[in-house]
Amino acid sequence: MRVEYINPFVEAAYNVLTEVLNTEVKRGNLFLKAATKSVMGVAAIVGLAGEVEGRVLFDMSKQTAIKIASVMNMEELTELDELAKATISELANMITAQAVTKLHELGFKFDLTPPALITGENMEVSDQEVEALIVPMETPHGSIEINVAVRERS
Amino acid sequence: MSTFNAEQLFRGQKENDKLKKIDFKLISFTLAGRDYGINILKVKEIRKAGNFTMVPNTPPYVKGVDNLRGDIIPVIDLRIMFNLPAETKDASNLENIIILRLDSLVLGIIVDTIEKVVGIASEAIQPPHPIFGDINIKYIQGVVENDSRLYIILDVDRIFGVAEEAEVHPAPLAASESVETIETDEEKAELVPTPNGSLDLQFISENLATFNQFHVSPLNIQWTKNRLGAWKDLRKSKNLDFQFTQKEDGEEFLLPFFSPLTGGLWTEEQLVDLAKVLKLEGNNLVIWNPGCGQGYESYSLALMMETQFKASTYKVWANDLDLLSISMAPSLILDEDELDLSWKRFTVQTKNGLQFHSDIKNKIMFEFHDIKHMNPFTQIHLVVMRDVLSFQRSNDQEKILGEITEKVKTGGYLVVGANEVVEHEEWKFIGHEPWSIYQKI
Repeated sequence: MRVEYINPFVEAAYNVLTEVLNTEVKRGNLFLKAATKSVMGVAAIVGLAGEVEGRVLFDMSKQTAIKIASVMNMEELTELDELAKATISELANMITAQAVTKLHELGFKFDLTPPALITGENMEVSDQEVEALIVPMETPHGSIEINVAVRERS
Repeated sequence: MSTFNAEQLFRGQKENDKLKKIDFKLISFTLAGRDYGINILKVKEIRKAGNFTMVPNTPPYVKGVDNLRGDIIPVIDLRIMFNLPAETKDASNLENIIILRLDSLVLGIIVDTIEKVVGIASEAIQPPHPIFGDINIKYIQGVVENDSRLYIILDVDRIFGVAEEAEVHPAPLAASESVETIETDEEKAELVPTPNGSLDLQFISENLATFNQFHVSPLNIQWTKNRLGAWKDLRKSKNLDFQFTQKEDGEEFLLPFFSPLTGGLWTEEQLVDLAKVLKLEGNNLVIWNPGCGQGYESYSLALMMETQFKASTYKVWANDLDLLSISMAPSLILDEDELDLSWKRFTVQTKNGLQFHSDIKNKIMFEFHDIKHMNPFTQIHLVVMRDVLSFQRSNDQEKILGEITEKVKTGGYLVVGANEVVEHEEWKFIGHEPWSIYQKI
């Protein structure tokens, strides 16, 4: 993945998460993945287009998703209902949008698609032709992995 | 149909263009009953011809030469080239010829029948599947369906390559299969490859792999053996055992391995020297530079292209797994005092210091990428990968080298570390101090 794209995603994730969760968030070590990867239980996907083609995936466990949705809505949610799902989709949208704005300032024109939320057990994600960059973020509610897989549009 | 029906062809085209986005046109023809296509941009003209002048000592698929309005062009029988059944017409019958123009090469190919121009959307082209072709999958650009007919699009650039073509016969698909078997033997592969290597060599190889991630293989075994001799003497003189006890021992052992000219820009003199050996020409040259580190090598290669190969357009794809180094590469700050005067004109002052001008920066794509993962290139002209392969596991070394061999154009180049040796029938060593350059044959 082009190095110029990395920081906007890392910074956007950090900024948005610390702001909406109102707490300290820690970033783990970045790494690259090219094979099938397990998804923790809840995956929010935002497509990317424009100068690049690919997607960003926000990966977390169901518990983490419920807790984060609770904090963001300022009410105690007990299950991953429609409100919680909409909240997580919105979180994915906010982070991606901020990253895309930063990229725009750097001169890279990215477009994004509306987010899709996928939930289930024993899910896996694989990208046949694109390498994925994983940015692990640790929050008090659990970990969120930001999985960015983009390639230059040739 | 063996004649062009211009009216039908024209009408058909107009209808198609209205329906969907046509951005790729191909000339369709048949070979042994199957439909094939070639990008119309590569086709110069179509004609019927016969009575070719036979040229002795050419491969069987070279039917001879033909006089195309004064130009003498080779005529190749694609059916013979691909080992397909071909009906030879007798001397008086004319064959169907498609004249191709590839870069500077013009040649004619004999086909069974020539059909029509087919317009398609390039996104409809699917990658080739082994069962679709009777011919080597390497030569297939893709397959596309149109009007309930399936066309196999031939990659004529690949088929006809550069002047001296080696015999075309189906290459074994074994390349990918052999990687599988090597991976299961991973444990064994780590140990010394040579059966008559001494026990000491085996120990040192294990040490190097464990402490320094340096993997001994045919790539570097000659250097390792030589170094071992000197190393043993050195350690003996200090009353130490030759085996490593810590990482620093390995670092000391490996000190003379590393190639010269790293960690800094190359001088104009060095680039002129290098350019004498690399016969790069044409446009859209792809230069792959894995293990670029801080970027000095990548910038040097761009400077070489700008000053020694001014006529060619190019792009340098620089990769590294060291995130810290490579993320600084696009905004590399140059030391004004140390900068070679010849490069001054490519730099600009920025608020952070002296950097390369965006004209140069735009030619280099720095990517955080693991070369063990899939290789995104389709065709490469020059690979500069110094002191990188030796730090990969043996089976990864083979896999990466295999991919490079596949993707580098014939006549393309591979530059490895000064003490690395590529032993492969498709690579010819062409010198040249201080670089270790190989050319694909």
